[in-house]
Amino acid sequence: MLIFSLRRLNLFLFTIILLTLLSFSLSFLFPGNQLVNISGQVNATDEQLAIIGESYNQGGSLISQYFAYLSHILSGDMGLSMSSQTPIFNEILIHLPATIELTLVALIIAMAFGIPLGFIAAIKHRSKVDDTVLTISMLGYSIPVFWLGLLVILIFSIQLGWFPSSGQISLLFEIEHVTGLLLIDIMLSDDPFKWQAFQNALAHLVLPAVVVALAPATIFIRLARTAMMQVLESHYIKAASAKGLSFRQIIYRHAIRNAMVNVIRDVGLQFANLVTLAMVTEVIFSWPGIGRWLIESIYQRDFTAIQGGLLVLSSYIFIVHILTDFIYAGLNPIARGKKYGS
Amino acid sequence: MGREKTYQEEEFPTPLLQLWYNFKQTPVVMIGFGCYLFLIILAIFAPIITPYSSIENHLDHLLLPPSWHENGDVSFLLGTDNLGRDMLSRLMHGASLTFGLSFIVVLISLAIGVIIGSISALTKGVKSSFLNHFLDVILSIPSLLLAIVIVAILGPGLSNTLWAIVMVLIPQFIHITRNAVKEEFSKDYVLASRLDGASSIRILHYSIFPNIIEKLISQATLAQSAAILDIATLGFLGLGAQIPMSEWGAMLANGIEYFYIAPWTVYLPGLAILFAVVATNLVGEGMRHALKQRKES
Repeated sequence: MLIFSLRRLNLFLFTIILLTLLSFSLSFLFPGNQLVNISGQVNATDEQLAIIGESYNQGGSLISQYFAYLSHILSGDMGLSMSSQTPIFNEILIHLPATIELTLVALIIAMAFGIPLGFIAAIKHRSKVDDTVLTISMLGYSIPVFWLGLLVILIFSIQLGWFPSSGQISLLFEIEHVTGLLLIDIMLSDDPFKWQAFQNALAHLVLPAVVVALAPATIFIRLARTAMMQVLESHYIKAASAKGLSFRQIIYRHAIRNAMVNVIRDVGLQFANLVTLAMVTEVIFSWPGIGRWLIESIYQRDFTAIQGGLLVLSSYIFIVHILTDFIYAGLNPIARGKKYGS
Repeated sequence: MGREKTYQEEEFPTPLLQLWYNFKQTPVVMIGFGCYLFLIILAIFAPIITPYSSIENHLDHLLLPPSWHENGDVSFLLGTDNLGRDMLSRLMHGASLTFGLSFIVVLISLAIGVIIGSISALTKGVKSSFLNHFLDVILSIPSLLLAIVIVAILGPGLSNTLWAIVMVLIPQFIHITRNAVKEEFSKDYVLASRLDGASSIRILHYSIFPNIIEKLISQATLAQSAAILDIATLGFLGLGAQIPMSEWGAMLANGIEYFYIAPWTVYLPGLAILFAVVATNLVGEGMRHALKQRKES
């Protein structure tokens, strides 16, 4: 397990270095002055710029400039937003939790619906149930997410009026910002209308989370189906049925556990996909998350914000990726011994 | 299949032909393939066969519903949008923008990816290991996010979007080519031609590419369905195709304001995207199924 952890840590460091390198080189690639792009000081005078240039080690070689940038990032200074002149770090602290909330809820929904459906399809292999599930999953990952979002808004919030169509919570409720995760903040607050606020926030969350969850859920269906079919063909299942276990016992005691392990391995990869879908969905549902903030900063050509947003969003994806790797290794002893990349 | 055995000679179909024999067994896949061909033909001939130009305004027919609606007009089969442009013509032009361009984008990145992938498969050591790690990182960043970043560098516009998507798709082709070439290189028949004195380039050309092309094609169909969705999404976000262009995603974004009074301006482009992606996915699905069958037989 130690070697496994060291390998993962190694990969993690390598990735973070690459990502910071990418975001550092972006400041050169974006049009305009590199120093302004990296610090976001649009209105600074020449003297002020000289001081900032000093702190980014402008006189030195590219490598020393990169390390100066790295130390800025590590101390939480990602520059100012070029459009609003507020520190990027604060903006990210405000917007990232909303995205974390949306993506995690969507991930849970996707797994809760996708995996059991996939198992059912595999158990009833080559039947009508299997065909139906496969057809649904094909449609699910072919549907453009923005179109789905609009249809869902039209049906459930305009025509039926069941759920609100935009935002994270009604403006009537004032929730203190503690962890940033709204649902947890509401639980922590001592507001007398806590439960109403919680229900309201939940109602706001349902539609975007379901829209984000649909495509990953259909991929989980396929993953779970293949995993279960592989397990059902293996010898220990045959041995178990030879011992006289009923089909139900085999499925619950042996097949589901072993198939689950294989599905969990791929959760990390699917998560990247899910975050992209969440970015588009945030735009449609006006969800105050980092995806919408990032896309808006592209419209405003706010380069500092793009660099910071990219760095944070991809680190978030990668951290979840590594976490699922650890969970997988914790559940499956075979994976721990395996060499990286094999 | 019924090929008559008139001659004693044994016939060995090429890997690609074998793939085709397996591919055409499934009826659903063949329907998808038919739709795919239809889209390709539409993409090529759209400018000739559309009833109107995609930007022509018919100011006395604004927001006309589709012709089966009681207020519809049969000369505008699928209705018109807010500027009186014929929806059918725009959708057909959109086929050559969204679907046709995604096809070209995939071809370009396939070519670049295969070249880099086969070079990297032939190198060993630190360089190769670095590339492996590098690809892992790039592949873990979602394609749309990367495309958005590249568009942010280049500035919005359809051609910039296309370059962005080309760059985003290259790593997966490198990855699959690299793995496939490495796998083939360890096989005995390659060793045989190596013993005959063939150079690496010659082995690649005569022995390896004919055997891995099916894997590349099946990856390419996957990539194309992603490319269609990415082009449409960027168009929808206003980062891709700009206003008068009839790219499906941009058309959809244009229709949002009139969603409630003229829902067809949103339904139809969305359905078109869905249709194109489903057709592409069906072809890809059939391809992978055929590959699996071939491996098992």
